Amino acid sequence: MDSFTYVNIFETKGLEYLLLLSFWALFVYLVRYLSKPPKGRPDSR
Amino acid sequence: MSNHTAVASETSRVFHFILEELKPRGPWLTPFNVISIPIILTGLVILYFRFRYGLGAVTNLSQGHPWGLWMGFDVVTGVALAGGAYVITFAVYVMRVDKYQSIVRATVLNGFLAYCFYGGALLFDLGRPWHAMNPYIGNNFGYASVLFLICWHFALYMVAAFVEFSPVIAEWLNLEKARRFLKNITLATVILGVTLSLLHQSGLGALFLMAEPKIHPLWWSQFTPVLFFVSSIYAGLSMIIFEGTISHKAFSHLIAPKNHHAFDDIVFGLAKGAAITMFVYYVFKALLFIHEKQWDLINTVWGYWYLVEVIGFVLIPAFMFAFGHRHRSLNIIKTAAIMALLGIVLNRLNVSIIAYGWYEAVRYYPSWQEIIVTLMVICAEIWLFRWVVNRMPVFSASH
Amino acid sequence: MDRRNFLKTTLAAGGGALVSNDVRALELRHPEEFVGILVDTTRCIGCRSCEVACAETHDMFVPDVLSDGALAQPRKTSERQYTIVNRFDTEKGEVFVKRQCMHCHQAACASACPTEAMNKTLKGPVIWDGDKCIGCRFCMVSCPFDVPKFEYNEWNPKLVKCTMCFERQAEGKKPACVEACPTDALMFGIQVDNLEIARHRIYAHPDKYVHQIYGEHEAGGTGWLYLSAVPFDQLGFRTDLGRTPYPEYTREFLYAVPAILFGVPAFLLALNALADKGEPAEHSELGFHPDEGGQQR
Repeated sequence: MDSFTYVNIFETKGLEYLLLLSFWALFVYLVRYLSKPPKGRPDSR
Repeated sequence: MSNHTAVASETSRVFHFILEELKPRGPWLTPFNVISIPIILTGLVILYFRFRYGLGAVTNLSQGHPWGLWMGFDVVTGVALAGGAYVITFAVYVMRVDKYQSIVRATVLNGFLAYCFYGGALLFDLGRPWHAMNPYIGNNFGYASVLFLICWHFALYMVAAFVEFSPVIAEWLNLEKARRFLKNITLATVILGVTLSLLHQSGLGALFLMAEPKIHPLWWSQFTPVLFFVSSIYAGLSMIIFEGTISHKAFSHLIAPKNHHAFDDIVFGLAKGAAITMFVYYVFKALLFIHEKQWDLINTVWGYWYLVEVIGFVLIPAFMFAFGHRHRSLNIIKTAAIMALLGIVLNRLNVSIIAYGWYEAVRYYPSWQEIIVTLMVICAEIWLFRWVVNRMPVFSASH
Repeated sequence: MDRRNFLKTTLAAGGGALVSNDVRALELRHPEEFVGILVDTTRCIGCRSCEVACAETHDMFVPDVLSDGALAQPRKTSERQYTIVNRFDTEKGEVFVKRQCMHCHQAACASACPTEAMNKTLKGPVIWDGDKCIGCRFCMVSCPFDVPKFEYNEWNPKLVKCTMCFERQAEGKKPACVEACPTDALMFGIQVDNLEIARHRIYAHPDKYVHQIYGEHEAGGTGWLYLSAVPFDQLGFRTDLGRTPYPEYTREFLYAVPAILFGVPAFLLALNALADKGEPAEHSELGFHPDEGGQQR
């Protein structure tokens, strides 16, 4: 028969919010990195 | 001249023009022809056996692995790689980013042909292809089915992409009135096309939702539709870079020098978009990984394979796109595009074939016949693409 | 009371005893309930009469049960056989298990089918219609029990699976396997009755059975129910399928479809209006405009 035990399906929420914060930090950095004027010259392919 | 005779003479002119254009041009013994003609002929022979003796005669499909390379690569992967058309038409027509105008025609043509050929390849895979019209003619409508939805979206999207491309055909045939009319409905078809793409790109992921007990947990998620949609954006962008680079070499005589130069600028823009999308996709993957508490699975063969896909072919190319954009390096961007495309192929094949039935002792691997037919589909698409761009004003308005 | 109901009630009251062993009697008592089959694996002796009866009824490959030695290895149903019996060596000795389509209450295959060729009938059996099937094999991908089988070596392949003898039921007969079973290991009846009988057997013999009815909750409940003396994972059953009916997995996605189809175009149109830079409306289609002498921009 089925057993009944405590299961918390939201156990990882804290970690997920940490990931979210680090995402925003890195994302802002990435967007700033991409919008800076280019370094060096275009290579000649 | 009466209106009637005018239409008749116009029709006959167009007819003769098309007959004239159907004739092959240029040298026959090109390297591509030498490779592709034997592949296509072999593929046709294989298809004869497939329709005469059944799928089992040429494929390695089994009761435990009902979908193989034809479904997993031709349809699921091919459609993701054709995502460039909806991304670019969105940018140019909806967001009015004129910068990408010069690649719209080639990209839409590519998308349309990809749907025709990869969607068409589904007919080889269907066990009873003579019933293929059943979902459309109402024998019966499987409203509850994700595949029913995909069938309809493929068909409608093909119409939308064809209408998006049709002004080029009208221009080629010198039909000025038709061109003006078709031009006017472009925005409407683009909006329809983007909406349909959003749904069927994610729908291809939704196909695997009910296969929950069969797909390795690292590749099954209830958010697979979202993942498939997000990754189709950067798949499309990478494909434009990859395909555009080849086109600019192979068809350089058709492209004006001005556009050659403009293409470099376009590539940088696409790389920026790809870098951001891939980073978001990667974080989404990480979020699912944390939420599903999958760290126990990482220290297994499947876990390493997962890391190869997610780090090696998503995160690293994402950084390469960003780095290439920042340092104006086309070579880094092109390498990143190829890696991103490999990552898409890897991801789609993992979900549909490799991690499907992962616990089974007997694994599926494609037979040589399946690979040849897949190559045949790709070659046939390139043939038609080449035929069209050599005749219609795809890369430039001059014939 | 309308005429039809009146007739039914009279028949049920008056004729009930007359046709008590008939399927029609069950239907009259529960006109809208699923039928199902209860398998008591403690009663199965592994004679494989069900395999033979099934094959003969459906005009398929008839196994030679006396000498083919098929019990040596666990088998799966195939494109030649709707049902098979497997033997397992367990802590309580050898156990025989008949397998076939489970006829889920909310069948994954039926919801997967783009043409409703796989169809969950109102009486419970899931049946296949060859005039509709396009052979996409999405039912095989979706089925949690890996039941539908495909004829890979036919030019005109069929999807093969147990029909719970839908045609025989229409004639008022029991499924062939149930009729052939010499030990009453198989019991055909209304699903709710079968469930009560199964529970009763567990409560009456608490030491004989494991306290689980396989199929009561698996994949949202199935038409076939199994009783066993040993845990089901020792008998080749998947115990990780969960209680969610499989069509539920695609519910959110299919819910979103109409919303996206009316919401996104409107949203895109709004974006397009917002992106208007106030230039003349003249916008060239697909890249180039012939009047511009060939080159764009």
